[in-house]
Amino acid sequence: MAYTPQYYPGSTSVAENRRKHMSNNVEKLREVSDEDVTAMLGHRAPGTDYPSTHPPLAEMGEPDCPVREIVTPTPGTAAGDRVRYVQWADSMYNAPSTPYWRSYHAAINHRGVDPGTLSGRAVVEARERDMELIAKEQIETEMTCPGLAGLRGCTVHGHSCRLQEDGVMFDMLDRRRLEGDSIVQDKDQVGVPIDRKVNMGKPMSSDEANKRTTFYRVGNVAFRDDAEVIEWTQRIWELRSVYGYQPK
Amino acid sequence: MANFQNEATAKKEFVKAMEVKYGKEWGSNQQNDDIQATTAKYLRLGTAQNPRKMEMAKIGAEITKKRGLQAYDPMLHLAGIPLGQRQLTPYTLSGTDIVCDGDDLHYVNNAAMQQEWDDIRRTCVVGLDLAHETLEKRLGKEVTPETINYYLEVLNHAMPGAAIVQEHMVETHPAMVDDCYVKVFTGDDSLKDELDPQFVIDIDKMFIPEQAAQIKASIGKSTFQAVHIPTVVSRTADGGQTSRWMAMQVGMSFISAYHMCAGEAAVADLAFTAKHAGLVEMSEMLPARRARGPNEPGGLSFGHMADIVQTSRKFRDDPCKIALETCAAASMLYDQIWLGGYMSGGVGFTMYATAAYTNNITDDDLYASTEYGWDKYGCGIGKNVAPSIDVIRDIGTWGTLYGLELYENYPTALEDHFGGSQRATVVSTASAAAVAIATGNSNAGLSAWYLSMYLHKEAHGRLGFFGYDLQDQCGATNVFSYQSDEGLLGELRGANYPNYAMNVGHQGGYTTVITGAYTGRGDAFSTNPLVKTCFADDLMNFDFMEVRECFGKGALREFDRCAGERAFVIPAK
Repeated sequence: MAYTPQYYPGSTSVAENRRKHMSNNVEKLREVSDEDVTAMLGHRAPGTDYPSTHPPLAEMGEPDCPVREIVTPTPGTAAGDRVRYVQWADSMYNAPSTPYWRSYHAAINHRGVDPGTLSGRAVVEARERDMELIAKEQIETEMTCPGLAGLRGCTVHGHSCRLQEDGVMFDMLDRRRLEGDSIVQDKDQVGVPIDRKVNMGKPMSSDEANKRTTFYRVGNVAFRDDAEVIEWTQRIWELRSVYGYQPK
Repeated sequence: MANFQNEATAKKEFVKAMEVKYGKEWGSNQQNDDIQATTAKYLRLGTAQNPRKMEMAKIGAEITKKRGLQAYDPMLHLAGIPLGQRQLTPYTLSGTDIVCDGDDLHYVNNAAMQQEWDDIRRTCVVGLDLAHETLEKRLGKEVTPETINYYLEVLNHAMPGAAIVQEHMVETHPAMVDDCYVKVFTGDDSLKDELDPQFVIDIDKMFIPEQAAQIKASIGKSTFQAVHIPTVVSRTADGGQTSRWMAMQVGMSFISAYHMCAGEAAVADLAFTAKHAGLVEMSEMLPARRARGPNEPGGLSFGHMADIVQTSRKFRDDPCKIALETCAAASMLYDQIWLGGYMSGGVGFTMYATAAYTNNITDDDLYASTEYGWDKYGCGIGKNVAPSIDVIRDIGTWGTLYGLELYENYPTALEDHFGGSQRATVVSTASAAAVAIATGNSNAGLSAWYLSMYLHKEAHGRLGFFGYDLQDQCGATNVFSYQSDEGLLGELRGANYPNYAMNVGHQGGYTTVITGAYTGRGDAFSTNPLVKTCFADDLMNFDFMEVRECFGKGALREFDRCAGERAFVIPAK
């Protein structure tokens, strides 16, 4: 199924980056192996089969159903995978992505996803192999700076905390840290140690993060300087308010 | 007590609170940070940095040993990693100089917070006029100021649980129920002057003249009783017990004071008129799906909550101060006790509420936004600008951008409000209350709330937890609706209002907005003059005038107006 690019108002770099995330027009910046992604997610041991919750759909003898005929199952659904999650925390100090834009990226560009959007974290749930593809895509592209974002299933505080002196986002469970000039991760999403040190690559410089971020803030691109976004937001609020006021 | 009065002072106090929190050592957290720096040292000192945590750990270990069963142990926080991987910082109670640990703002640890709710739950207002009419017309009794005084003497003996009329009755011990009493108030000055002053809430003394005149005009010649049953009774049963307990003692006191037959049919008429017909509960019953009796927090309207807080009697010229004290009282009750306790259970809800009443952050936002609105539209107390989409959009946008940029300019404030839910509540509360203050209209304020939420989400690419998407993204479409089950005047909405019932971090904010409307108009009360007057009483245990200071005393373990204690009847230590 083909998706058309999504649109978002605004003339600033932040608005442009938001459009890029929504339309999956994001630059690949690093390579992380499939096994390393699996290890960091922590749902199964790397190299093992995907646990399933039901037999493959082809073996289930599904009833006649027009919806089933229209919708092609995702690979994970067809195989009967469990629904599992990938959850991110993104720093408010110009991390490239923000919770809503991680959710929009997943929901617009992938099928069979269930994003949840909070302030400090964004979770995407999907059939396990489908989720892994989304996770890998977000890990390897400009959506993620390994110093300013982290895979965190729990204990997600850090997005609003001041950065560490080395410029890395605080993580109470110390799942990943700066070693040399790269970020290495040696615990899974919920802080359980894994059998490897995954090299996540160099964190972005502050100039690069400023350039790639989808977050408005003073000192970089202030929200008040993107008049078009503010005006559209006000317009949506006004139209909804007026629509709701129908004294009849 | 501190009264910021204007934006410049509020900003100064905000900076001071940040410096206390992040610029000075607290315990041994080795903190001395620049409050505007974007980086910090993370020393990972654990709970050892904080004396309160160490006290808790010590007592937890003692409990474990004494009962032979695991109790509190901070190392169980997460696989041997305790709290305190960052600095454990203190909290300034906004509008005061009181600094405390966050733990001391959990209602379990704070006797003042408990007493706030006790004092609301154990209170009801009951009219006297219908009972007097029944006495005169149905029973042929003469009602005079002298008989009323005698009735009130009897009632203040009986209301705490003393026997009356009948033999073979047991009684509550007065030492257990010394917080229980009944006073009366009326808009009839001639009657007031003839009543024994010990029983009277004197509106002229408790309110400034302009407010007193407004309240007396609203009450008219009617007379009401302000009833506060014993805290220990209310705690043992539920909020519904308040009017039941009141009713029993009122009925028996009439029988005694007016020498009535205890069995004739006419007494049924008196029972109805004296106990029920003129009854005003603090809050309404909830429907079956959230089944609670009356006088439980879920049925407490924002308007009643605004009237329970008494700051307006002393600080009429500072609507922000009134709104902020109400914000604290309402956030504590609705978030910490109602949603955090009754509806959810647990610990985390405290942090939603404290964001609204600590470290002067909401204060800074509200004073700044109010000054903007007043300056732009030439407003003042009682001098409002007509609400319109343009005015709401202007003040609401200005206040939201100011509040968001405060977090961006002060990374320590951002760290203090570590969750977007806290930030969304604080920024929306301030910008919406400023609109309400400028327009004198609560629904205009609530409309600004939703605009603020929209802007916040777009600015930061995040808002609060899932619930903020639920009610804050759909709220604009129903905020002006007055259709049944969709809309009401803001004052009549409450914790069980359809769109507001689910989420922490909102109901205290809405109450702040509702408060802004009446204080912006310069009115003496928001919704119900009976409720406002009932709590205009220095004998109340909780200080509804200076809510945040009272919470601070509770946090410092200095609150000494506790009621409902059992120490008198249990073994002394």
